[in-house]
Amino acid sequence: MMKGDFEVVHGAINLVQPSETWDYTPAGFPVPHHISNPPTSPTARPVLDGHCTNTDLSDLIMEQVASPFSEASPSTTNGFPMDTSALPTDNITTSPDEYRSRKAPRRVYERTVCGSGESRSSSKSLAERDHEHGLNMITLLLECAVAISTENLPQANRMLLELTQMASPYSASCAERVVAYFTKAMASRVMNSWLGFCSPLVPHKSILSAFQAFNNISPFIKFAHFTANQAILEALHQKERVHIIDLDIMQGLQWPALFHILATRADGPPHVRMTGLGTSMAMLEETGRQLSNFARRLGMSFEFHPIAKRAGDVDPSMVPSQRGEAVAVHWLQHALYDATGPDRNTMRLLELLAPRVITLVEQEMAHTGSFLDRFVESLHYYSAVFDSLGMSLPFDNPGRHRVEHGLLSREINNILAIGGPARSGEEKFVSWRMELACRGFVQMPMSGNSMAQAQLILNMFPPSLGYTIFQGDGTLRLGWKETRLYTASAWTTRPTR
Amino acid sequence: MENPNQHHHHMPTTSEPNDTGATEKWAAKLLQECAKAISEKDSSKIHHLLWMLNELASPYGECDQKLAFYFLQALFCKATESGERCYKNLVSVVERSHSFDSARKVILEFQEVSPWTTFGHVASNGAILEAMEGEAKLHIIDISNTYCTQWPALLEALATRNDDTPNLRLTVVATVGMGGSVMKEIGHRMEKFARLMGVPFEFQVVRVATRLGELKEEHLGLQEDEAVAVNCVGALRRVGVEERNDFLQMLRSIRPKVVTVVEEEVDFTSCRSEFVKCFEECLRFYGVFFEMLEESFAPTSNERLMLERECSRSILSVLACDQNGGGDCERREKGSQWCARLMEGFSPMSFSDDAIDDVKVLLKRYRSGWSLLPAEGDASGFYLTWKDEPVVWASAWKP
Repeated sequence: MMKGDFEVVHGAINLVQPSETWDYTPAGFPVPHHISNPPTSPTARPVLDGHCTNTDLSDLIMEQVASPFSEASPSTTNGFPMDTSALPTDNITTSPDEYRSRKAPRRVYERTVCGSGESRSSSKSLAERDHEHGLNMITLLLECAVAISTENLPQANRMLLELTQMASPYSASCAERVVAYFTKAMASRVMNSWLGFCSPLVPHKSILSAFQAFNNISPFIKFAHFTANQAILEALHQKERVHIIDLDIMQGLQWPALFHILATRADGPPHVRMTGLGTSMAMLEETGRQLSNFARRLGMSFEFHPIAKRAGDVDPSMVPSQRGEAVAVHWLQHALYDATGPDRNTMRLLELLAPRVITLVEQEMAHTGSFLDRFVESLHYYSAVFDSLGMSLPFDNPGRHRVEHGLLSREINNILAIGGPARSGEEKFVSWRMELACRGFVQMPMSGNSMAQAQLILNMFPPSLGYTIFQGDGTLRLGWKETRLYTASAWTTRPTR
Repeated sequence: MENPNQHHHHMPTTSEPNDTGATEKWAAKLLQECAKAISEKDSSKIHHLLWMLNELASPYGECDQKLAFYFLQALFCKATESGERCYKNLVSVVERSHSFDSARKVILEFQEVSPWTTFGHVASNGAILEAMEGEAKLHIIDISNTYCTQWPALLEALATRNDDTPNLRLTVVATVGMGGSVMKEIGHRMEKFARLMGVPFEFQVVRVATRLGELKEEHLGLQEDEAVAVNCVGALRRVGVEERNDFLQMLRSIRPKVVTVVEEEVDFTSCRSEFVKCFEECLRFYGVFFEMLEESFAPTSNERLMLERECSRSILSVLACDQNGGGDCERREKGSQWCARLMEGFSPMSFSDDAIDDVKVLLKRYRSGWSLLPAEGDASGFYLTWKDEPVVWASAWKP
């Protein structure tokens, strides 16, 4: 197993002039120097700025690429979301109306001649060939990962070309779909390794839309939201002024359910101040508007503060605390983009905020570390997720495809990219739970009520499907069969007196 | 939090009238800029564009994402000078993993949703039937890439003709990709179908050793008293560029009653030593083709995926392989270019009104967007157009 030393870390490094690092092939095509002269050690790699300096063109393109911001949001009663209806299916093209007589010969041909479709000339049975095909794919995938981990790009490319002809993302086999997306991610990775760039282009609008679709067909997000909400409710019990900080609020899908319960509290609703962090001010303001409207309808006093920054880039003065306020911080980890930035700074912010409760939901998978570690863990992780989707929706369901392609594939891409989802070379924590414990935060075990919330969510997805809840170490974990996928935990600041 | 029933359709359709057009075709824009940057040797710009394309590309997403992915793949192979090797690998992978069943499934589904191949079939069959009117012994030399899906309709037409049903000999010229077992299957099915139709029928396969350009009269097993038709569907482009005129002369020498030619309307030949021009033509054509595929098939169609992958191999061979590479390099030419070659030994045959009507009836079976356009000027025959863009050319010739 190759360890971290082969990983390229991009930090604040100066842009090297292209003429110094590029050769030209006879066709006039520039080739990065390190391709024509493969490096013997990691330090021989060319150094390039980790972030795209020309933002105008990419902004323009992103504007053009992103789909419109969705207005659909779940409405809730009694703390449970109502939008469990199936995803809209696209209107597939209608086939030609009548079968004209001209078509008859071919139909006759098919009916009489084509028969069962099994080729007589093949010596192996269909099942045997399928099995062999599957094995070949997995073997090739693993070999490709090894090639990438040793920076053997030409070898990796050769294998990827093969793989791209073999695995289909529309297959009835979940494993094949996973291979198809891992293939695509590695192809992207090979290109990135070759180019030397690593900063991502993030189409936030389409991600949000895919995220919402995922929420509709799968319990993982709801699990995160509702168990965290329960822990927050318990921590903010009887508090009159609360400040909730969501480190990556997106469309704020989590909060209406909580607001509803706060608003219908026996001793009346608290004054709620919410600070939402996110990637774009426009989206944050829209989220704020939606949440404010909702709070107003509930008769709850509410303020919203958007901060279009990553948590690790936030100056603590931007999040001032007010006297008598109980602070709750929430974070749902994902690999869609780097939501938190420099983790050490985020941790420092948390320490300064000294929250009454921190609710954390982590993905049980390596976001950092060596390429092969990330590859192996994510292969295991996403195989489980794809399996879970495969149980609930048919293989040709366009909604399932949208989620797999628009959300999961994106995460896989990011996990396998240079340096993982952060792609910045900044040091990222391996485990937030561990770090919180080390920094003196005290874990508050997830209560029986949180467990009950988790159970209620699972009841929306028939038990025979295979979702499982694990309870232990004070955490609540949701998984698929034996694979643990999301872990929810709650923490509080150790009292200083 | 209004209206949980408001559905959000994520995938934009290309037929939305209120699309600004700015959202559309970003891949073409980026790729065109890339081609320009390549010709200007602007390496930092190339670098930047490739990075953007890589971020946005996906072989399983929208049309633009697919184009970006496959063109990026070709550019990578070109830049690392591994085009030939990669192409050969791909071809062998495909041969290993694809069966007759999967190939048949793909082409039948394609013919179900799009007239791309059936157009040429109907036009050619019309021309053949007319040219062979009154003949008792027919011999069709079939050099095509559609696995004999053309012939059931012709057999039916022969069976229902007023006069006595003629004899039909079908000689299929098989090249790479049409392996022995595949041809056996096809032959078996054709014979069975002909029996059903009551047409006296013989099937034989001629295997060309290396290049289609090496095909000679003696390989074909021609007989004295038969009327010969040569059917070239997607065939002439598989003849090496330098051998094309000779090949056509050879066809003329076997004195056929008719030669039907069907080719895709794109030119990779005249620009084969100019990368940027080739690139732009490749982008234009495959942009149209991918869009057509997206609009014709269901979003999660495996058959469409197979066709896209076939395109990706073509794109790779056109952009990243040497002009003389492999012999598999299919250097397409436009109708007007083929006409110039064919005029050397042939004169164009016009299609009868019946044949044209047949094509019009065919097009009505498919979604809107398809139509017929007679060739003008330097070209004869006619075109299949999709959204007013000529995409396939069909013609008929006699010596």
